[in-house]
Amino acid sequence: MELKGISRRVWRSLASIRTGVLLLIIVVIVAAAGTIILQRPATDADELQRAYAPQVLRILDAVGLTDVFHAWWFVLLLVLVSISIVSASIDRFPNAWRYFSRPYKYPDENFRKALPSHKQIPLSDEESGLVAAERALHSLGFKPERVVRSDHFSLFAEKNRISEMAVYVVHASLLLIFFGGIVDALWGWRGTMNLTKGEQLSMVEMQKGRSRSLPFAIRCDGAGQENYKDGSPRKWWSKLAVVQEGQEVERKEIVVNDPLVYKGVRFYQSSYGPNGKVDQLIVTAAAREARAGGEAKQLALSPNEPVRIDADTTVKLAEFIPDYVVRDGQVYTRSAEIGNPAAHLVVTSEKSGQSVQYWMPPIEGFAENEKSPFRFEAQDLKMGYFTGLQVSHEPGQWCVWSGVLLMGVGLTLVFYMSHVRFWVVPVRNEKGQLSLWMGGTANRNRDAFESHFEELTVRVAAELKDEKSSSATQEVTLAHK
Amino acid sequence: MARAKAEQQTVASGSALIVGVGLTVAFLLFIAFLNVVKSGNLLSESNLLYAALIFYAGAGALYLGFGVTGIESYVRWASLATWAGLAANTGAVAHRWYEAGHPPFASIYEMLLSFVWTLAALTLFAEKKYRVKVIGTVTMPVAIVGVVLMQLLRTDVHPLVPALQSTWLHVHVTLAMLAYAACALSFALAMMFLIQDRIETETFLAATSLFTIGIYLGILTRFEKWGGLSVIAWNPEERSEIFLSRGVRLFVTIPDLGWLMVLALLVVGAPFVLYVLARARKQDGLMAIANRAVFVSILLQIIALASFVLRARSGQYASLDAEGLFATSLAASPFILSGLVGGIFASLLYLLLLWRRPDLERLLPSADNLDRITYKTICIAFPLLTLMIAAGAYWANRTWGSYWSWDPKETWAAITWLVYAGYLHMRITRGWRGRRAAYFAILGFAVVMFTFFGVTYLLPGLHAYA
Repeated sequence: MELKGISRRVWRSLASIRTGVLLLIIVVIVAAAGTIILQRPATDADELQRAYAPQVLRILDAVGLTDVFHAWWFVLLLVLVSISIVSASIDRFPNAWRYFSRPYKYPDENFRKALPSHKQIPLSDEESGLVAAERALHSLGFKPERVVRSDHFSLFAEKNRISEMAVYVVHASLLLIFFGGIVDALWGWRGTMNLTKGEQLSMVEMQKGRSRSLPFAIRCDGAGQENYKDGSPRKWWSKLAVVQEGQEVERKEIVVNDPLVYKGVRFYQSSYGPNGKVDQLIVTAAAREARAGGEAKQLALSPNEPVRIDADTTVKLAEFIPDYVVRDGQVYTRSAEIGNPAAHLVVTSEKSGQSVQYWMPPIEGFAENEKSPFRFEAQDLKMGYFTGLQVSHEPGQWCVWSGVLLMGVGLTLVFYMSHVRFWVVPVRNEKGQLSLWMGGTANRNRDAFESHFEELTVRVAAELKDEKSSSATQEVTLAHK
Repeated sequence: MARAKAEQQTVASGSALIVGVGLTVAFLLFIAFLNVVKSGNLLSESNLLYAALIFYAGAGALYLGFGVTGIESYVRWASLATWAGLAANTGAVAHRWYEAGHPPFASIYEMLLSFVWTLAALTLFAEKKYRVKVIGTVTMPVAIVGVVLMQLLRTDVHPLVPALQSTWLHVHVTLAMLAYAACALSFALAMMFLIQDRIETETFLAATSLFTIGIYLGILTRFEKWGGLSVIAWNPEERSEIFLSRGVRLFVTIPDLGWLMVLALLVVGAPFVLYVLARARKQDGLMAIANRAVFVSILLQIIALASFVLRARSGQYASLDAEGLFATSLAASPFILSGLVGGIFASLLYLLLLWRRPDLERLLPSADNLDRITYKTICIAFPLLTLMIAAGAYWANRTWGSYWSWDPKETWAAITWLVYAGYLHMRITRGWRGRRAAYFAILGFAVVMFTFFGVTYLLPGLHAYA
């Protein structure tokens, strides 16, 4: 008995609107805090250390406030909200269902008295009154049905009964969205993949240095950027191919906003840029001794691929330093961007097997440019580009989208449809005078309903008048005969 | 006899205001025309926007004038001015659209342009459809603040970066603008309800005072430094903020302004303290002092705004983080600016309530009707908010590969949604009507404004371009 009382009280409080709203207020406060306090994965650790004192940061970390939206208690909070929605719906559903499945078709006397919108019109006989009301209801777009009572008929008409269920549709859709979100939080993942032209990869880089291997590979057949006139990027594109067991199974050119989807894994175009590596260095090579022809030859050098200049000599691009500086007898690069570039070529004679280090520009202590049989001059530099792909797997998203659609339906039902009901009953007062009682109600948008009801009563009165006058003419014709 | 004389006087001062506002509008239009002649371009966007500002300001003055004097012809003129402003605003939107080649949704400037347009259109709609003739008293000042902010923001047309090239952008932003404007309308209607419901001015005084205290506290905690006000440095050539490194802005300190803000905080806080005292000791005399304190606080707020505008608009100030002097611009501190303007606006609304006239009540629908229309507006705003969030999530999923990433703007949109969901639940299941519902509607709009402006300027995130 005691236990039952407690469990009942727990149920009551879970199902109460008060609990629901309280939970929502907590969610709002916590979410707002999560937007104001710097969050972990998005902000660098250094920046967090700069922003907060060490003790404060320790406390924030311990409580989980630096990663609110992934903290266990936030998930728990959302689960509690879901439980509250479910129990509130369960608590109220049976009543609403009864209301929905067994419409109240014949209003008893108490109901008739309590109903705010009703009206009575004096009547000569029952049948003509019902017929007039039926016509009026039909003209307003209703389909009235006759309710059979022991001694007389009455009318019942309704519209949009489904709107009584609308709230449950909205709540169900919210649960669907939550469910999808939880599925994605548990089984979904996201990472990145950087590809250069011709490269083929099946490893996805995840957060915190982890990686994940896909059961298929992605090959990049080309990527590029188109610019506006002012130089800002207009479009990034990548031609991707899916390769499974050595076979190409799918192909697509993706752009931002249009991903490639294969087996539930989505590949998004997210960035594009130089990878700091040289694709090709175009140089001209001229023989040092004029007798060798004199004409300068143009060569395209790719990193570490020897190119033949004449029968004996080959040259290869050994190093490219984008922003060089000489320190402690070594060549370093200051950054990955091209500022002060240097190229290191190796010129090899096949006959003698001797190699000469050729530097452009000639860096003292490294360059042996004078020993080289050819003089080189850089003409053009083609840098390598990578295309950055965002990779994600969200198995729950279809649940989310169907929830969104369902919510659209539910909200339309809630806000733009009201359950309108009309009852028409012929009644006799104490003196035995017959009159037509008309009443109606709507669950939403009452002012519009009032004018609707007004319209109905006017039409019924008009129909009754018509009938009377037509029957009067009949009598006149009869009398004439 | 004496009464008739007094009435005549009101009428005289009444037409004086129409003539005054009319002359000012004409004068400003004339000045604008001179500018147009100089630049040789009549229908440029800035001219149209300027015209819209003039008309909106005229409408706002007339609406407020009606609130004070109760002369009905003001409302007609104000409505006409709103129509004229809307026409100019439409021209500006069309011009922008044509110039940029895409609907004006790509930057905060363009969003404001669309927002103000929707707000003016909805104001006229509410006037015609619901017969809330004086709703412009609340919405026009909001529109004015919007257009003034627009004058300060970067106006150059930017091509759309790849992430923004999507039909979903247009769907998302159109829905957002409609939803936010509907929220603004529900806020205005709730205010009208409170007036019609004869809310005690004391309560409103306390709320206004708390609101302004919040603004000044926010400004002081965020920007005050050593008695000065620390604002973001501005590079006038590139029309952009100066960055020390990626994501770190350079702040300069405008001396002495901080003290002025502290003083302003004390004065705007005074009415609240007096209100609490009056409540505790049940002395009505204190309320009279509180009302006077509001006047003083408005004066001081205007001084604070004026000195901030004068000193931050142009000037060279030192910084703690870098050597040398750096320029500032109003465009770099939109939050302070809109906060100061918002504070003055709230205090003026209180004055309107204090001078409330029976005429105002006569022109408004009944309190019950206003309550119902407020609810109806929210019934329109809420599904729009829902669709806006859904469209945004769908677009994000196509662009970034994730439909929800708890980015501040997203989170705040969800918070807005929850606040209005709370309103609907309290209203439908708990039968909240009248005042409590009106307060809820006002709270909802405050959250909307924070989502729109506050998040953009105060919190970092993915929505950096808007």
